[in-house]
Amino acid sequence: MQVLEQKPTDAESREWAVWVKGLTREYTTRNFFGGVTRSTWALSGIDFQIAYGELFGLIGPNGAGKTTTIKILTTLLTPTGGDALILGLDVRKDLYEIRRRIGIVFGGERGLYNRVSAVDNLRYFSDLYGVDPGVARKRIPQLLEVVGLAGREKERVEKYSRGMKQRLHIAKALVHDPELIFLDEPTIGLDPAGARDIRNMVRDLKAQGKTILLTTHYMFEAEELCQRVGVISKGKIVALDTPSELKNMVRDISVIDLKTYGATMDYVEALRALPIVVRVVADLESEQQSIRIQTPLGADLLPKVVAALPEGAKIIDRTIKEPTLEDAYLRLVEE
Amino acid sequence: MVSMHDLPPGKRVSGYFAQKAQVLKASIFLTRKLFFADPQWVIPNIIAPFVFTMVAFFLFQGQTSGSSFLLYLVLGSGLMGMWGTTIYASANSIGFDRWNGTMEATLAAPVPLSWIALGRVLFNTLQGVLNAVFILVIGLAWFRVGFSLVNPAAFFLASVATFLSLSSFGLLLTTVLLLSRKGGFITNSMEIPVYIATGTMFPIILLPIVYLPFAFMLAPTWGIEAIRIAALPGYVGLPTTYWEDMVIMAAETFAYLGLAFFLFKRVEAYAKRIGTLEEY
Repeated sequence: MQVLEQKPTDAESREWAVWVKGLTREYTTRNFFGGVTRSTWALSGIDFQIAYGELFGLIGPNGAGKTTTIKILTTLLTPTGGDALILGLDVRKDLYEIRRRIGIVFGGERGLYNRVSAVDNLRYFSDLYGVDPGVARKRIPQLLEVVGLAGREKERVEKYSRGMKQRLHIAKALVHDPELIFLDEPTIGLDPAGARDIRNMVRDLKAQGKTILLTTHYMFEAEELCQRVGVISKGKIVALDTPSELKNMVRDISVIDLKTYGATMDYVEALRALPIVVRVVADLESEQQSIRIQTPLGADLLPKVVAALPEGAKIIDRTIKEPTLEDAYLRLVEE
Repeated sequence: MVSMHDLPPGKRVSGYFAQKAQVLKASIFLTRKLFFADPQWVIPNIIAPFVFTMVAFFLFQGQTSGSSFLLYLVLGSGLMGMWGTTIYASANSIGFDRWNGTMEATLAAPVPLSWIALGRVLFNTLQGVLNAVFILVIGLAWFRVGFSLVNPAAFFLASVATFLSLSSFGLLLTTVLLLSRKGGFITNSMEIPVYIATGTMFPIILLPIVYLPFAFMLAPTWGIEAIRIAALPGYVGLPTTYWEDMVIMAAETFAYLGLAFFLFKRVEAYAKRIGTLEEY
């Protein structure tokens, strides 16, 4: 895919649903007298394009700039510098036309009126987006059926589970039939079944030809759904490619996944100190501890891993795996 | 089983006025739903007006000189109720989205925020009218206040115009409160001075002269005057006629509206610049 180096002509911009070049955003904190006390660059010049009908993922750690990017592209925030075109329209000038043609799914509990029903929410947003009332009367019940809320549509949203609310978010974003959909961490906090339902809906949207920008914390989700993935870290795009190409960056390593009991931080540090270990990521707080070791040695490292175990600790399960997008991601964001 | 492919295309309403009317309708509809969803609506709309009226009547009971004075009180109490509801509810009309977590979704809609706020303010002022009607009913039924109006048509016209002027004032206040997260403080501090300055309970001519310019800048001041001229026989208030009051009120209402729409544009631009308007 050709990457444009300067603002595209009208004809060129028609090739891209999203065109971003040199986008920057600075947040400043001011004192009582208006003087700047602190300045933070949330975005330091990012470039990427999304083709029509593409499902593009934006991944990165907390505070990397994902939400700032989405806010700018959805016209909720003015960029400090750079250019961004959405469906060929300028995010600085064509606010309302862009908003009419995009849909936004906010993750979590934000964005719904909890004291009224799902139908009331959809009717309200349908009117705000200017949907013909006759069309809305047909579209809203069908949308509720598509997202699996038919039969519960007249209940107050406050009675809904997290998963139901998220499905309503999807319906809300689709109520005006947008061409481009922004999904900001749509599966965050959902149980596995709820998250799977949302992922299936995302696939359906893709099959329908919608262009989608998805942000997520879950690497397997990005790997499973996205055609291309941009990795954002400290306000910069540090890699942008297909999931398989990104994984190729870490083909030189294997991954040992351990499920442990009684492991300590000292043990993790001991593993990190091994000369042939590239990276160790540990979660010792959960009920079932997990430790992920990246190493070029693969299974040959296991005797050293076992030998370093402290007294009383046990390895419950161990698996040697090919590296995943998560391993590539960890390398990229830590470099 | 319906799939995404079966959904009808989202055809849009065309025409500037049809689009704006649709936004106003949606905003009024949602505000009404949210209002009645909270059982506490009874407090500002039934209990508070009742208490207002009681206090006013018992305060002035010994000093009344005929039914027209009681009607003066009823109209004053009604307007206090209208103003109280307007300032409280309008202040919270958009601020509500901030703590409800819907500010981002509201700001992301393809319509100016001012039209969404206008719908909400119109509904809130309308419930203020119902509040005033309730006070009138208490006055008529409980205190046997005579309700013979000098000019019913003029009274109706002045009431509608005052309703619209209160709405425009509420819209103007919404912009100020949008910018400040201390909305409640501003709301509370505005309520009583406006009761006094607009002459709801006693003629503003009794106020020290330094307060009069402030009183004259408030459109409801002229609305109350026009309502009283149209309702009360032999009413003596400001040295203006009914139509002069109406013209001044209309001019101030348009000034409020113009300023409110201008400020909304500035607020939206500011919100996009700072990116924290949705934070509570």
